[in-house]
Amino acid sequence: MSGEGDFLAAYETPRLARLAPNLFAACFPLMKLLPARFMLERAEATGHLQHGGPVAETTSGTFGLALALLAAVRGFDLTLVSAASLIDDRLRRRLEFLGAIVHIIDDPEGSGAQRERLAQLHTILEDRPETFWPRQYDNPDNRMAYGRLAEWITREIGRVDCLVGCVGSGGSLCGTGGFLREVFPDLTIIAVDTHRSVLFGHAPGRRLLRGLGNSLVPSNLRHEMVDEVHWVGAFPAFASAHRLHHDHALFMGPTSGAAALVAAWYARKHPDAVIFVILPDEGHRYQHTVYDDGWLAALEGWPAAVPDEPETLARIEARGEGEWTRLVWHRKPLATMIGAERGV
Amino acid sequence: MVSGKSAPRGRRSGGGANSTDRQTERRLQVGVGRAMAHHGELLQGVFEGADGKLHRGLITLPLAAQQSTVTFWPGGKGGIRTRPTDRRKAARAAALTLELLGFANVGGDLTIESDIPVGHGYGSSTADVMAAIRAAAAAAGATLRRSTVCRLAVEAEGASDAIAYGDQAVLFAHREGRILEHFGGEYPPLLVVGFRTGGARPIDTLGLPRARYDGQEIEQFRVLRGLASHAIRQQDPRLIGRVATASARISQHHLAKPRFEAVTDLAEAHGACGVQVAHSGTLMGVLFDADEGGVATRTTALAKTLRQAGFKGIVTFAVNVDGVFLQ
Ligand SMILES: Cc1ncc(COP(=O)(O)O)c(C=O)c1O
Repeated sequence: MSGEGDFLAAYETPRLARLAPNLFAACFPLMKLLPARFMLERAEATGHLQHGGPVAETTSGTFGLALALLAAVRGFDLTLVSAASLIDDRLRRRLEFLGAIVHIIDDPEGSGAQRERLAQLHTILEDRPETFWPRQYDNPDNRMAYGRLAEWITREIGRVDCLVGCVGSGGSLCGTGGFLREVFPDLTIIAVDTHRSVLFGHAPGRRLLRGLGNSLVPSNLRHEMVDEVHWVGAFPAFASAHRLHHDHALFMGPTSGAAALVAAWYARKHPDAVIFVILPDEGHRYQHTVYDDGWLAALEGWPAAVPDEPETLARIEARGEGEWTRLVWHRKPLATMIGAERGV
Repeated sequence: MVSGKSAPRGRRSGGGANSTDRQTERRLQVGVGRAMAHHGELLQGVFEGADGKLHRGLITLPLAAQQSTVTFWPGGKGGIRTRPTDRRKAARAAALTLELLGFANVGGDLTIESDIPVGHGYGSSTADVMAAIRAAAAAAGATLRRSTVCRLAVEAEGASDAIAYGDQAVLFAHREGRILEHFGGEYPPLLVVGFRTGGARPIDTLGLPRARYDGQEIEQFRVLRGLASHAIRQQDPRLIGRVATASARISQHHLAKPRFEAVTDLAEAHGACGVQVAHSGTLMGVLFDADEGGVATRTTALAKTLRQAGFKGIVTFAVNVDGVFLQ
């Protein structure tokens, strides 16, 4: 190992887990390191970021952590903007410990304050115009970063028939899926979202499952690539994460639980297909929440029975945190699907 | 100048400074060397090396049935003459080889006999160069590592391909003459129906401008490399076919083959694994799984269809298959 980049490159490489004879998983310690490193390196190469120069981003979680690790190791000056309902005290302290400046916006309704966060970010950009803003939601480099994951998948597994992954920015699923489809044009792509996220047409609202879903539609989400969407409520996602830990010794975060739930169901239904699922982060960050009985017991509706299969919807509709639904999306644009709802 | 630059490497391949005097006393004999053609590439693009930088590289599709045979007849001091005349790259390759092996300023005659067509992407020039290197080495009674042969070829010609590695599939940096990745095995068993697209007129393959790949293509090449590695490890013709088709599609943005889509449709209709192209040439090939039942019937039917469609130079050849198969 010759330099700082080497460990970060190794850190962003997943472990391979076989969850069923026809189901493989990429288990990431912290998936967001992959796009974060790629975006910063591209920005440096194109002159948008001076070495050691300022970087600012609005983020609620793992992308900010990945940026903070990179900023500390590589000596960037990092400012993050988040909202009170999105970031817990431990994560904030860890980010600050790494040297990041963290601005937190109050949002008593738990809305995520996306608009206010952006306004704050723009103030930072005006103050220091040389600041690089990675823009993970819209920067195509986010998707492009996943050529490395697609390479790893083809090297390890070869042919893949179905890719399952969470959607937040859309970078991981649409990036990986796009590269894989160049060699496997018939690849089925399944997006995993949660109720009251606007990504696939729900009205925005309070969400208990964080890390996937969004209150804005990012342009890195390419709806026309998606064959099927699943909305997994927080409870089935938590229970599935517990099961991964118990049945496979995999200590992963709740969005991994949601993705694994959907992938295992699809793998049971299609025993002759090879399914690949992306599991984006580990459980440590959620030890005092999703992996804490006391925290769970305080949730209304918990414990919940995990459904064996999703309910297939005929139209886009949000449900409760205990439910798991699916809709065949047919690689359609979002507007087409929402238009169909309204009978347009 | 060769011995100066390659002194450390020369020592390893047995021709170092200490042995030079001894070797010049040894007599050169008549030496024969052979090298085969190729049929373009299964994959070509840019790839990350161990140094973290991007390198142009390729996976060659070997065409063993066509060869260049070069004979070196030592004699005199007046440089190396060639027959046919003016094959300067082959002469230079032989001279560099002899110099590396401790025979400086040797003269002689180099006879090149080749059945490889020139200027379509069959690698005729590289085959002559490689065969000349091997002939010179044989004349000196020496064996050379494949990596040394490739390095000498690049020095003589400015580029090389991976045919020195024969049936071993490697990702090869053709401008540098060195391996980017050993896939650790031979090619999956293939039958290839090859042909020439477009004009029958030869082109200057080395004179073509180098492709400028965009960021998306560069990331896509990673995936093709990963899949090639898997396909070779698992000896899977279907997957290597996917790699070749995707690489050929990217090549369409840089050196487009006419009627490309028509060919991919025909390939699919005949149950092929995929298509490949010569990234600097006019060749195209349709790849079949050599172990699949009924494959001979399908390759024959495709060859006939292609002939009727007006394609030229149609040849069916085998890669890593028992027995001889050439039509
Ligand atoms: C834990 C976790 N899961 C899933 C995702 C969704 O990934 P993407 O943004 O690539 O769509 C994220 C994104 O931040 C995440 O942090």
